[in-house]
Amino acid sequence: MAAMEIEEENPVKNISKKISCRNQQIKTLVSLIGQREQVAPPTLFLYGHTGTGKSLVINSLLQTRELPHVMVNCVECYNQRFMYEKILNKLQGLRSYMNDPDSYLKCDNMNDFIRMFRQVCEDRGLTKQTVYIVLDKAECLRDKEINILPAFLRLQELTHQNVCVVLMTEIVWEKFRTGTGYCEPYILNFPDYTKDEVLTILTEDRPEGCEADFYSMYLNLLLSVFHMVCRDLREIRYLASLNYDQYCQPIKTGDVLASDTRKLWKNIEPHLKKALQTVYLREVSSSQWEKAQQETEIGETPSLQGLSSRNHVELPYYSKYLLIAAYLASYNPAKTDRRFFARNSGKVDRRAKLIKKHERTSNHMLGPKQFPIDRLMAIFFSIVEGKVSPTANIFVQISSLVSLNMLGQVAGDDQIDTPKYKCLVSLEFIKSVSRTVGFDVLRYLYDFV
Amino acid sequence: VAETATPTIPGRCKPLSSPTSILEEARARLHVSAVPDSLPCRDKEFDDIYSFVESKILDGTGGCMYISGVPGTGKTATVREVTRALQQACDDGELPYFKYIEINGMKLTEPRQAYVQILKQLTKQKATPDHAADLLNKQFTTRGPRKETVVLLADELDLLWTRKQDVMYNIFDWPSHPHARLVVLAVANTMDLPERIMMKRVSSRLGLTRMTFQPYTFRQLQEIVVSRMKSLKAFDDDAIQLAARKVAAVSGDARRALDICRRATEITETMSPSKKANILVSTCHVDAALQEMFSSPKIVAIRSCAIQEKLFLRAIVAEFHRTGLEEAEFAKLYSQHISLCRFDDLQPPSTSELAGMCSRLGSIRLLLVEHGRNDLFMRVRLNVSQDDILYALKEKSGV
Repeated sequence: MAAMEIEEENPVKNISKKISCRNQQIKTLVSLIGQREQVAPPTLFLYGHTGTGKSLVINSLLQTRELPHVMVNCVECYNQRFMYEKILNKLQGLRSYMNDPDSYLKCDNMNDFIRMFRQVCEDRGLTKQTVYIVLDKAECLRDKEINILPAFLRLQELTHQNVCVVLMTEIVWEKFRTGTGYCEPYILNFPDYTKDEVLTILTEDRPEGCEADFYSMYLNLLLSVFHMVCRDLREIRYLASLNYDQYCQPIKTGDVLASDTRKLWKNIEPHLKKALQTVYLREVSSSQWEKAQQETEIGETPSLQGLSSRNHVELPYYSKYLLIAAYLASYNPAKTDRRFFARNSGKVDRRAKLIKKHERTSNHMLGPKQFPIDRLMAIFFSIVEGKVSPTANIFVQISSLVSLNMLGQVAGDDQIDTPKYKCLVSLEFIKSVSRTVGFDVLRYLYDFV
Repeated sequence: VAETATPTIPGRCKPLSSPTSILEEARARLHVSAVPDSLPCRDKEFDDIYSFVESKILDGTGGCMYISGVPGTGKTATVREVTRALQQACDDGELPYFKYIEINGMKLTEPRQAYVQILKQLTKQKATPDHAADLLNKQFTTRGPRKETVVLLADELDLLWTRKQDVMYNIFDWPSHPHARLVVLAVANTMDLPERIMMKRVSSRLGLTRMTFQPYTFRQLQEIVVSRMKSLKAFDDDAIQLAARKVAAVSGDARRALDICRRATEITETMSPSKKANILVSTCHVDAALQEMFSSPKIVAIRSCAIQEKLFLRAIVAEFHRTGLEEAEFAKLYSQHISLCRFDDLQPPSTSELAGMCSRLGSIRLLLVEHGRNDLFMRVRLNVSQDDILYALKEKSGV
């Protein structure tokens, strides 16, 4: 009795040793899984945010105890057939690890799946022990055929086989329920790691030849910048590995001692702040970032050009004006057109203008409004310099702007005589476009007058 | 564990025993499958159909007849009765030989399978629907070295409807050909089916020979039950009358009346198992059977809900009263539920728990709910009337 307990206890301790800060969940799962031949709960529903160790815990649990299991990612199975065949063939290949086409099982509906699943379990001699089917990204199951999720939830009952389906997802169980109800699964939450836990986990995978205290000091500094905006373990781990060299730079050159935390902090802080705005938002890629770090080492000023700073597009002359006109039509109310674009604009009551300005909400807050093509052409002719004849060229440029996703057609393709559009570009973009043609767009925008 | 979870019908180990007591004998006679020799209360309809088909057989022509009536009025039974009588007459040599064919729209996987069925019964040939249609067309439209009259019963006609209506068209078109010698008896539930779903050229071929089976009146239902109970003293007269009147008031369905009487015999047996020999089914037994059949299960379901579920139903009614609409968002219902919990001094549930209750009530169709992915914006409607809920809940709290 005692020996068995020790034998059972060991894997748990082993796993807990490998995976830190998930003791509670591992304990629950181990007790639910129980012995090999014991009946496991029909369904386990594990949920938690990304990077909370769901897959890690269940994977290592099933692998270290060498339980028969199948892992399937539901995103890969856009068709129910792929899912069934994957499960069956993986289960079949559990022992042999060979995929010969003769024994490849074909299955395209749930009815066949249940029949063949029993068959495979019998063939493999798995009838006496629990078989685990782990479905990752289980939220995709909701969008598949309506019978899949309820059938998986009662697979144990339908197959008469000791099987446990493990669903892993990021969303709560309430968002799965529909129709005539399901067999309720056993729900287990994986909470987010706290700051201390993140620190413990990250200290474990420190680079070689680095003291734990020194590295945890570095992580402390890192978290003081990033923990406010990011709790994702993977992201923080990625940033930690990316910026560590920069942190160690002064020690390597001999400017600062390893114990002088203050100086190291002074050195790294602006760097991390900058990383927050560039690498974290994927404005620059990590390879660019590393290259820039090397450049600073040599003493050059790094030239970091983010993705969003490159919002400069080469457009034909009239297309630029058309885009500006579309932007003005989208963000200006139609009744102000006369004031902005007519030659002799009507006199604006100053007092009314002042009152209105306080009351109105910014059009830029509400998003672009649709406009007919007539208004676009009227504004275009009024802002463009020189005399432009409305040739086919001009109209083709409108449709090419639509295909570039700078304009959006609103009412569908069937409306040929007066199509309606929306302008889909940002204010920054239109500013840079109007700068190239020497047009002051802010003077014509109702929100900024 | 898993094997006992799915309910199944137990298998029959030994054969059915023949009835021993009066009540068992009554039950056997009251079974819907025990069709009597003659159908009471349908004499006129029987005569009409009989003379229609008989005249067609004697003349060697064809024709259509459309028979309608609500379920349980004896349409199919009467037509079968007619064909049985005709076959009898045929055997006696009073009529020339004819062939009887039956198709049922409900039993066909697809309307065009009707051709296959007809051909199979006519010639024992097997063919694809297209080929069968060709063969039948040839047989009915061309002069051949035949032949006997064919009587076709097309049951559940409305299911033979296709977009082009070619199946219905053909079935009604064949009898109008000079050499077809086909009599079609079309049976369906609604009286205005030809006007509603058939094209003009189909319904005109159907012709004007129509017959409607009226729902049974309570006297007729009483007669039906009494005729089956002939020379068997199992029922009180008032008991039969009560069952007949109740059924006639709702639907006039003979099957329903027979079922209620059968159930009443069972209730009688269970209520007094000791003196099995000479007990009569009385009005109180029939009344109990009627209660079982006609009373709404929703009220019972509401009464057997858990406390929090009842409270949730009450919260829904309160929210509907507040807004004056018949639909509410889950978030609003939640806040209403919380305040009701405060009034009743109960521990308020979390949103997850309440969502679970909501989906359970939705799954037993007391509520109509949307998919759970809308979570707080999920709209909830009642599938029972508000009065029913208040009645069911008040009864409980009043006691």
